[in-house]
Amino acid sequence: MKLTLTNHTFSTLLNSSFINLRRPFCSASLLSSSAPISVKPQVPIFLRPPIYSAKLSDLKKWHNWAKSVASSIGSSFVQSDNGPDSEILCRELKWFVEDVVEDKHWLFSEMGDGDERVKMRADLEELYCLWKQRIEERKPFQYVVGCEHWKDLVLSVEEGVLIPRPETELIVDLVSDLVSKNEDLRRGVWADLGTGSGALAIGIGRVLGNGGKVIASDLSPVAVAVAAYNVQRYCLQNKVELREGSWLEPLKDMEGKLAGLVSNPPYIPSTDIAGLQAEVGKHEPRVALDGGVDGMDALLHLCDGADLMLKPGGFFAFETNGEKQCRELVDYMKSNRSASLCNLEIIADFAGIQRFVIGFHR
Amino acid sequence: MSHFLRKSLSSFLYRPTLFCCRHFSHSHPHNTTSLFSPTWLSRNSYTNGLSPTRARFWASQPAVTEPSTSDGLTVEGIISNNWTILDENDGDWKSHAAAIAQSITLIKRRLQWKKLKVRLNMLSVQLNKEDLWDDPVRAGKINREHGSLLGKMKEVNGLERELLEHIEMIKLAREENHEELELESMKALLNMRRNAKEKEIEALLSEEHDSCSCYIEVQAGAGGTESMDWASMIMQMYKSWAQQRGYKVTVMEEMPGEVAGIKRATIKVDGEFAFGYAKSEIGVHRLVRISPFDSNKRRHTSFAAVAVIPNLGDQSSSVQINESDLRIERFRASGAGGQHVNTTESAVKITHIPTGVTATCQNERSQHQNKASAMAVLQSRLNQLEMARQAQLNSQHTQSLTDITWGSQIRSYVLHPYRMVKDLRTNYEVSDADSVLEGDLDGFIMSYLSASLDKNEDDA
Ligand SMILES: C[S@@+](CC[C@H](N)C(=O)[O-])C[C@H]1O[C@@H](n2cnc3c(N)ncnc32)[C@H](O)[C@@H]1O
Repeated sequence: MKLTLTNHTFSTLLNSSFINLRRPFCSASLLSSSAPISVKPQVPIFLRPPIYSAKLSDLKKWHNWAKSVASSIGSSFVQSDNGPDSEILCRELKWFVEDVVEDKHWLFSEMGDGDERVKMRADLEELYCLWKQRIEERKPFQYVVGCEHWKDLVLSVEEGVLIPRPETELIVDLVSDLVSKNEDLRRGVWADLGTGSGALAIGIGRVLGNGGKVIASDLSPVAVAVAAYNVQRYCLQNKVELREGSWLEPLKDMEGKLAGLVSNPPYIPSTDIAGLQAEVGKHEPRVALDGGVDGMDALLHLCDGADLMLKPGGFFAFETNGEKQCRELVDYMKSNRSASLCNLEIIADFAGIQRFVIGFHR
Repeated sequence: MSHFLRKSLSSFLYRPTLFCCRHFSHSHPHNTTSLFSPTWLSRNSYTNGLSPTRARFWASQPAVTEPSTSDGLTVEGIISNNWTILDENDGDWKSHAAAIAQSITLIKRRLQWKKLKVRLNMLSVQLNKEDLWDDPVRAGKINREHGSLLGKMKEVNGLERELLEHIEMIKLAREENHEELELESMKALLNMRRNAKEKEIEALLSEEHDSCSCYIEVQAGAGGTESMDWASMIMQMYKSWAQQRGYKVTVMEEMPGEVAGIKRATIKVDGEFAFGYAKSEIGVHRLVRISPFDSNKRRHTSFAAVAVIPNLGDQSSSVQINESDLRIERFRASGAGGQHVNTTESAVKITHIPTGVTATCQNERSQHQNKASAMAVLQSRLNQLEMARQAQLNSQHTQSLTDITWGSQIRSYVLHPYRMVKDLRTNYEVSDADSVLEGDLDGFIMSYLSASLDKNEDDA
């Protein structure tokens, strides 16, 4: 279901800064061409005005229905494709209510005869519809509410943009530690390639100092629009610049100048895509996931990119599919004769999986 | 009087003038004609300046005389009259007076009144010694302690006098048939009753961390589903209790049982004095009932252990944690992770490697926030450990769940064959078990807190 966002609330929430989106050189392969704003991002539910209302008893009825639907799932999704179980779905329902209902205390209070009206940010019919999509179509919860809580940020997301993963948070922590000790990198220009919702760019933009900035690029116009929206929500227009295009192409002017380069590029081997849990495989954009035959297409390309784009002493961090890709990537960097990348290190995520390759330019 | 004000008063106490002014403006809001001329009041008000000689003069005055009304009624007298204490709204003056007298008595117990008097006398003797100021540092110390104790004593005496004054007024008004005056005095008495109650609670909760927020942890004892169900009932009881008190409750961690209930859970209770009250609940709670999980309908006894930890927040007593001592794990993670998985479950478990202390949080919407919350729990657990290590005293309030032995039963909840909840420490009991399980715990808590005072006094 597409939300109609033509009304005035939307335009007030998004001010004119989209028009300022830089549109540098774009590769010919780009599908989108025409107007600067070809895509209008959706507003997450929690940011919409509470212009709807429902009788408390009706809202409770919906809540009971939603809860029973969630409970009926048991662990069937877990068994079929490692999807969510009832416990997770029930927790999502709680968060859904938090986002939708202005004063959620109503819903859980025993008081009142049910005739009170509760203010909401979406109407009751939409709630039924959205929760059905969550359960029946396995639409990711984050697309249902239109946002994901990532680090201490709440990022807007929608179909067409990858939902940022908790693993990726660690890249910001790594950068944050580094720049807290390195003034030069703190004031330098960074790049986030394949920025998606803008998560990494915003996270890093907030830890850079005066003069420091992030150029974030993505091939997908939806991603660029959503990232721009998020950048604006955190008032980082001066720190994060968005460019549409394929990997390094929009950054040609930065060769040898970057203080840092980070990326979480698509890295899933093509053959694995079919077996993904429904939330991912059926809903998230393939271009954000599919890394080619062995999942390494983009990563290898970005290795060369880091070599070319980083200035001496510059830092890079890449997220990978796991131990195998980490090792292959490190081997590639070491064997590639022109490579000037050093101090290579493999870092594990919180689940203990070797997830990141980091290093510096000589 | 606010905590702060009282503190600043006692630290200013060696400036008698300042002290007297503030003190009396507080406890005698309408003190124009004192009905029972406290001799030392007039004497003190002559004292001026800060010179050692002045202080000596001032300190040498007899500390107090027990106040009474013109017909000889004293606060102790009121207590021994055993007047029934009714609700604030429908009490007569005797009820109010008895309630106030009770509060005063409790405050005195808290201050260890007899000991305080002895100490005060001793300090007065010291202050009167000729050579006192030969050692100015020591003299200053003695002077300050003397001032602080005297201040406390005067505050209590002030309350006593105020109470008797109101009573005298009411009696007088009645004799003279002066309705307006009677009404006014009743109002003042009621006001005082409320103030005294507040002070009483402040006095009950004046240990080091009492005013802090806290964590409450509940763990099921052996016995499978029945005990896990009991643990969740107990947890529910605390949640309700805390909410009724107006505290904010946040679930930090919950390990559900396989069939029902919880194996273990931690909640955070935010609000003033949360720790002070909740610490009364530390120990093992026992349940006797017909288990709904037993198809043979037999009677079962189960146990749940409760630990309460003050949340010291950013206070300086926080233990410094080295980032490198931490192991941070994704809790319940499985599979390939990363782009393969979309889950809203981002629970984090943090282990402090040197101590083995762990904390988890799964309730927040981002991993980062889960990590932050788990860190907060970890921090408070480590603080707790450190407190216990440093102090080794105060033992009952610093136990963590693992230290609570299953022998240390504090309360028993019987739902069958009769219904009763009984505290084994105070013998306080209630037959309406349901109301207790719904969070009506204040009776238990208050009786425990005041019993602890008695115990301290006995020890003294
Ligand atoms: C796994 S997502 C990562 C998104 C975001 N950085 C994050 O961590 O949440 C990969 C991103 O790379 C983008 N992408 C795919 N191919 C690209 C290309 N050729 N050039 C630039 N971006 C590309 C996708 O649109 C997607 O947003």
